[in-house]
Amino acid sequence: MTLVHFSFCSAFTLGLTGLALHRAHLLSALLCLEGVMLSMYVGLSSWPTQISLFSFSLVPMLMLTFSACEAGTGLALMVATTRTHGTDNLHNLNLLQC
Amino acid sequence: MIYMVSFFMVGLVLGLVAVASNPSPYYAALGLVVAAGAGCWVIVGLGSSFLSLVLFLIYLGGMLVVFAYSAALTAEPYPEAWGSWSVVGYVVAYMVGVVTWYVVEGGVEEDGVVGLAGLEGYVVRGDWVGVSLMYSWGGWMLFVGGWVLLLTLFVVFELSRGHYSGSLRALE
Repeated sequence: MTLVHFSFCSAFTLGLTGLALHRAHLLSALLCLEGVMLSMYVGLSSWPTQISLFSFSLVPMLMLTFSACEAGTGLALMVATTRTHGTDNLHNLNLLQC
Repeated sequence: MIYMVSFFMVGLVLGLVAVASNPSPYYAALGLVVAAGAGCWVIVGLGSSFLSLVLFLIYLGGMLVVFAYSAALTAEPYPEAWGSWSVVGYVVAYMVGVVTWYVVEGGVEEDGVVGLAGLEGYVVRGDWVGVSLMYSWGGWMLFVGGWVLLLTLFVVFELSRGHYSGSLRALE
């Protein structure tokens, strides 16, 4: 395992652990998802140079496109939550269910 | 060169530790900015200048600005930075985890790519050619990507506009 593999694999695992555990705000969860996406982008960008197959370089671009969709939808959900509940604390979503 | 790229790889991991240790969203966004900047340096050190430019302009300049703007919706009276005790506990736990994994793995090998592809080379590299393939052979995938972005625009409108027929409506 080279340093590139170790760094982006540990970054991916850290982001996933932070997403799975102890989230106070919805925006914190979205930021952890973005960190996971960033580590995937770095990992996918390191592949074409390591195997010298440069036609693979468009895969990180497409992944960035779909992650932009994910970020936009997540932020729209956060705005909707803020408008209905006044805050985006995840504990508040259990209160006053209607 | 190899030391600089290794430094920014460590910076990438430290940025993710800063995001994942559950600080307030202001500071988590700051940690993600650090991680994205370090990621730009890592990618350009590996020899992909166009992908690094895309990460810098699109990701750091476009998406993270929206995230930093959205942090205004999560205002807290007492925001927690990395000086709070709970956050410090998570930072220490994550650092111990990463170092343990490093030790269990038995260190890392030397990478042949980082030393070869220095910043002193050409500006236009192979990844420019690879990305340009998206506009010729990958045309349908480009079309799908653009269509998905347009669809996401309407999804965002429908989620957050608060119309009586949208997803955000008053219950009668």
